[in-house]
Amino acid sequence: MTQVFAKGVGLVKVEEHWDKNIEYLMTKAAIEALKELRIEKIDAIYIGNVGAETLQYQSQLGALAAEQLGLIGIPSIRVESADSSGAAALREAYMAIASGILKTALVIGVEKLSDGLPEEFVSLTSMFDKYEYTGYQGLTQTSLAALLYQHYLVRYEIPQDYVAQFPVIMHENASTAPHAQYQFKISIDNVMNSPIVSEPLRRLECTAVADGAAAIVLCSRDALEKIGRDGAVEVAAVSMSTDFVSPFDREDPLKLGAVSLAFNDSLTRAKMTRKEIKIIELHDSYSILAPLILESLGFSQEGKAGIDVKKGKYSLSGELPINTFGGLKARGHPFGATGVYQVAELYLQLTGLAGKNQVDGAKAGLAISLGGLGSTAISTIMRTG
Amino acid sequence: MVFRFRIPSHWRAKPFRYRLIVYRCEDCGMVHQYPAIICRKCRSTRLRHTQLPQTAKLLSFTVVRQAPVGFEELAPYIVGVVEFEDGTRLVTQLTDCEPEELKIGMEVEAVVRKITQDGPSGLIIYGFKFRPRIV
Repeated sequence: MTQVFAKGVGLVKVEEHWDKNIEYLMTKAAIEALKELRIEKIDAIYIGNVGAETLQYQSQLGALAAEQLGLIGIPSIRVESADSSGAAALREAYMAIASGILKTALVIGVEKLSDGLPEEFVSLTSMFDKYEYTGYQGLTQTSLAALLYQHYLVRYEIPQDYVAQFPVIMHENASTAPHAQYQFKISIDNVMNSPIVSEPLRRLECTAVADGAAAIVLCSRDALEKIGRDGAVEVAAVSMSTDFVSPFDREDPLKLGAVSLAFNDSLTRAKMTRKEIKIIELHDSYSILAPLILESLGFSQEGKAGIDVKKGKYSLSGELPINTFGGLKARGHPFGATGVYQVAELYLQLTGLAGKNQVDGAKAGLAISLGGLGSTAISTIMRTG
Repeated sequence: MVFRFRIPSHWRAKPFRYRLIVYRCEDCGMVHQYPAIICRKCRSTRLRHTQLPQTAKLLSFTVVRQAPVGFEELAPYIVGVVEFEDGTRLVTQLTDCEPEELKIGMEVEAVVRKITQDGPSGLIIYGFKFRPRIV
């Protein structure tokens, strides 16, 4: 097995891109990722996307991307695992390079949600759960997240503002992130006074409609020697795990078993300990997922992540910064693109390109991407080469 | 997006949606909402169809305000998780009540109600919902 490196990223600002189509968005991210590289040949393209069939009536994004990039002839495929599709695409590329079959690969995450009506956006997320069980009844991802949230507050007997603190630090971090959707700060009062979406979830604890595309170039050690080692980051491990698709089918719905399994597997493969992880990009599509993930990873005790975030542990200047560019909440959550944004953000941190959001001295970072409410979890560890 | 309820899909689902018929693993007790060949928890093949009890306890509930396609007219509506005596949980709509009348831990019972209608001439979907227990 050969080592795999990341070199070159492209990030399109997350927003509602009314005037750009899905092909344009993915091409823009890919060209930016490739522009500085003296790369002779891209061996394959992997694309993460969820909604193109339902929102754009478009399948076969693989061939479409190859054509748009003027790379007709090379293998190119789209990968889907709900809102972890981007990370799943990255994992496919990582495995192909690690195995020696490919030398270089381009990973693109793309999603264009603004084409849909609001109820179509909600229906798209209902497909992340088991449709014939929950979706047909009108259960949505948001309502299932709210049910987990209420269950969490009751079990651990903590006030809601402990969990609602997470969006506050996300916006703080996004306020200086050029590619973030919401570049402004909010207070805990703003969150707690925002309209209720689904009790106890409030508007400012959820993500909103977003379009975006992110790209990253992966290569083998041999290929890296040709391209040049400057600015390369090692992809130390990409591990994936699954769980019961619907959260209340799990023995304990507040434990994200797939997160624990994927994280432990990635540590083993990278031959690292959890103490070496200095930054985490995690999947906060709803505020409640941030504590559930941190507790499942073991960085906070059960029911205590809210206390840790209040104390500043997870702030940009804290002991273990999370979502250094605002995470899903404030950088934005274009579903299939999100997993690639997360890893690209780790790349920026580890190469010193994070600008005002730079975390000094970090040598290793973790990205946790979820499909739905933890049905799929993908754990990616990046470290300085 | 042309979103339609598929007629064969609902036809297949009727035993679960009308009568709470599920498939229980005789080895570990895990419940499957639809016919399964192998237990998703312990991989046993000893699955037997059975009916869930008509009453359960309310574990968690919330209100859907941003409705998906087909539920725009119904919103806001209550959804929740109920737990049967053996610990099996079921995600469901709650009906015949206002959110203020609900309390975590209260007894609820199953009823059959209209879930949604696929446009003026499309399929009408019926299925279980739960309400506060009356008797």
